[in-house]
Amino acid sequence: MADLGMHGRDADLEPALARVLQVGTYLSISAVVVGTVLLLGGGISPLAASPALQLDRLLPDIIGGRPAGFLWLGILAICVTPALRVVGALVGFWRRGERRMVGVAVAILVVVAAGVVTGLLAG
Amino acid sequence: MEIGLLMLAGGVAAGAFGSILGLGGGVLIVPLLTLGFGLPLREAVGVSLVCVIVTSSASAGVYLERRQANLRLGMTLELFTAAGAIVGGAIAFLIDERVLAGLFAVLLAYVAATMAGGLRGRAVAQPAADVETPPSPAEPSVEPPEGDEGAYRADRMPLAAAGSVGAGVASALLGIGGGLIKVPLMHLVLGVPLRIATATSNLMIGITASASAIVYLVRGGIDAYVAGPTAVGVFVGATLGSRFGHRVGQRALRLLFVIVLLYTAIEMAGRAVRGG
Repeated sequence: MADLGMHGRDADLEPALARVLQVGTYLSISAVVVGTVLLLGGGISPLAASPALQLDRLLPDIIGGRPAGFLWLGILAICVTPALRVVGALVGFWRRGERRMVGVAVAILVVVAAGVVTGLLAG
Repeated sequence: MEIGLLMLAGGVAAGAFGSILGLGGGVLIVPLLTLGFGLPLREAVGVSLVCVIVTSSASAGVYLERRQANLRLGMTLELFTAAGAIVGGAIAFLIDERVLAGLFAVLLAYVAATMAGGLRGRAVAQPAADVETPPSPAEPSVEPPEGDEGAYRADRMPLAAAGSVGAGVASALLGIGGGLIKVPLMHLVLGVPLRIATATSNLMIGITASASAIVYLVRGGIDAYVAGPTAVGVFVGATLGSRFGHRVGQRALRLLFVIVLLYTAIEMAGRAVRGG
């Protein structure tokens, strides 16, 4: 825990991680915008029952110009963006040989993956 | 179409006011969707988490670029908030919605009380202020002060870790970022300067809300049709709020919001008592 305050040591890593977050946010919100335009333009009420997330339907729905495809793609990208930032940090710390921070990054990703597994098991 | 536009407009309002007042989106989005559009509370929480990730990722990117966030501290604590979020996500599907409504009423009352305290000019630590708001592009960059690096109370990490688990549970249960807990925790327990604590909390919110949202997503707790217009609205509103918020009179707006939050807290408490 000794180097938690070493704020300046990550100056080379932080801009790259910032870009991951910014690009991820803009790409994902763009997909959601397209989905929302298709939804509202198609006269579908947001309070209507929306199709559940089915990964195998994602591509056909996008190709077919259906709002659910773009909305689910955007929502998935939104949820994954913070984890991509952790992956970026993992790579950065790995290159520097900072084992402790690599371990922290791996542990975060394991916890997030555990959320998927427990959700699947419980759902 | 009208409902979709209303939802979009509601998202813009929640994002803008949340940004101007420094409130996390969830505190405003969940009541908007439940009381305004009649959504079940759990579904509103799922949508709110998606919106919270959007605003957090956008603002955390700026904070990282300006080197205001402490990456190492954030990553260490987000391990615990993510674990808490998984636990909270599991609990959220087990407990009665009336209990959730009661918890949310308590949260709203707490935020209202904190804001009212700020209006009276008391020296209250401002957990509700500047906690999850996107930074203004016009805001000057704040470099960590020289010699600041060793100043954090790393010896109190176990307490901070335990508090972070609590923040994660609260995030998953109530659809909030959890900055209300994380900022005071870092500032008061670890001695992290408030500005760095705020930026670091923003960084952590992404993973916290993401871990929660993934549980909701996998269990079918997120409605894509509701999440779309709301998330777009919140993103636009938060962007506008961070750019133009400094032009708005804070005092009158805060007073208005204390009233709105108290009213919403009473409505939520009513749901908790009556159900439905």
